[in-house]
Amino acid sequence: MTIQADEILVAPSAVEPLEAATGSSRRLLSFALANVRRRPERAVLAVAGIALAISAAVVMRTIASGYQVLGVDAVTDAVGGAPYWAVPAGGIRVDPATGVIMADAPPPELTSPEGWSAERTVTGTVAGHADVALVGRTGATEGRALVSAEGARRLGVAEGATLEVAGAPLTVQLSSEAGSRVTVPLDVADAAGAVNGWLTLRAPPGDPAAPNTVAEATGLVVTSDPAVQPADGAEGLVYSTQRSTNRLGFISFDQKFAALLGSKVSSSFLGLISTVALGLGFVIAVSTFVASVQERRREFGIMASIGLTDEVLYFFLVESLLLFVMAYVSGTLLGGAIVAFAASSFFSLRAWLEAAGLVAMYLPALGIVAALIPVHRLLQQRPVSLLADH
Amino acid sequence: MIHSLYRAVAYGAMAAWRRRRLLTLPVITVATGAFLVVLVVALMPAVRRQGEALGSGDSVGRATLAIAVVVLLVGAFEVAIAATRSINQRSAEIGVLSTFGVPPRCTLGALLVEPVATAAAGAVIGAIVGGLFGLGAPAVGMIDDSVQAGDVVVGIILAVGVSVVAAIAASAVPTVRAVRRPPLASLSSS
Repeated sequence: MTIQADEILVAPSAVEPLEAATGSSRRLLSFALANVRRRPERAVLAVAGIALAISAAVVMRTIASGYQVLGVDAVTDAVGGAPYWAVPAGGIRVDPATGVIMADAPPPELTSPEGWSAERTVTGTVAGHADVALVGRTGATEGRALVSAEGARRLGVAEGATLEVAGAPLTVQLSSEAGSRVTVPLDVADAAGAVNGWLTLRAPPGDPAAPNTVAEATGLVVTSDPAVQPADGAEGLVYSTQRSTNRLGFISFDQKFAALLGSKVSSSFLGLISTVALGLGFVIAVSTFVASVQERRREFGIMASIGLTDEVLYFFLVESLLLFVMAYVSGTLLGGAIVAFAASSFFSLRAWLEAAGLVAMYLPALGIVAALIPVHRLLQQRPVSLLADH
Repeated sequence: MIHSLYRAVAYGAMAAWRRRRLLTLPVITVATGAFLVVLVVALMPAVRRQGEALGSGDSVGRATLAIAVVVLLVGAFEVAIAATRSINQRSAEIGVLSTFGVPPRCTLGALLVEPVATAAAGAVIGAIVGGLFGLGAPAVGMIDDSVQAGDVVVGIILAVGVSVVAAIAASAVPTVRAVRRPPLASLSSS
């Protein structure tokens, strides 16, 4: 079988093969583009397949990020900057309906370390509005109800309006707190039947607020890991929300809590399926390059026979990069669109951008390996066998 | 005409059977997607419950089903990529068929047999395994809910239908282009 001149894409510049071999990234890119143009349908199908797989990963990560944002905002509001957070037996949870941290038992009865302050927070829901949290907090202004924007929307109240909670008329003051909530003085919340909650502990100025001090005074286990739940029979548990001094000290409590929430999503059906999708996207990429390698055996045989073996690898890497970049852009947009339409409650620009960033982190590895697998097999062969007819 | 189309399909089936080893990966890919679609449809109550824990059962349910269908479509694209490879390898064969006056419609039918058969085989295998898995999940304690046989059937119809239609749609353009090429071009590009 004869080799057609138009099959050798390096031919136009092959009069200077060594220059082509050591050529610039622009030359590599033009070679990759030429190959894409040679089999446009396959390139489009490969990009579409990989883009679909990437979109699945973006959907999962966007939902996970949206959930993490919700949870972290809720924890930030619940803890209020206190270094220790004493939660009751049964722990705490992010209430999905309100986006607010809720407890399922009354705050633990404990003795604070000498000189420390303990602020009590209780949670429940506003009567007749299961989707609006009622939060009673020590230090909340008397006669006022701090209402978050979402809470005001659901309750249909505006700034300055009067909101009656457990018979007490409160003046609505809009707040920037996350979720759907109404924060009222502790006695009002108690009267409304909100009894479950937690304590936040603060050390006096100058006190190093060591975990040992808290553990000894309260008799509760102190941990900085939000995945730890109160042991059976324990009165509660104290979370240390300050950065620890161990080797994991660079990770804040919020970040650990976010990771915990993210793992909930990634271990769900949604997470497992999106992982499978990404795996299949990788299979498509490998399959495309295997087909491409088989069709261009003679071409690469010529290149290998004049010592351009390494360049074959570079050509495929650039081509892989090109396909993955195109697939990434379209897959990210498609994934955002799927979340916006199918799961709009989780969609936010911040969550989508976070998801796009996370997915981008492991794409280079996928692209490189997808190109390396078939090329490695190709480069194991002698040039003469590549030039032979198959 | 029906007779010639029947012969074209038979010829295409024979060619696809000859190349069955090369079609293993696309079949597995489609089967994976079909398996997931059937499983998600069958286990939707459990998926929704997981979603409720995350904030919205309906949203998570819809997103999970959308991703399962996306996986199925990824499989269909893998089938189409295999079809482009097949068309390229059979370029001379297409040229010979055109030279001997075989109508383009028949050649098209013969070439589309491979992607359709691949997608259908993968979808049926995956859907059946997914259906059995879904029906067996409550029995082995994987989920608390009972699985409705009707949901499994809906999942199987959805998986097989989407796979075959998507595989035809994705393979149509390269196949039509190959059939429309002048015989000489097909013969010389092999």
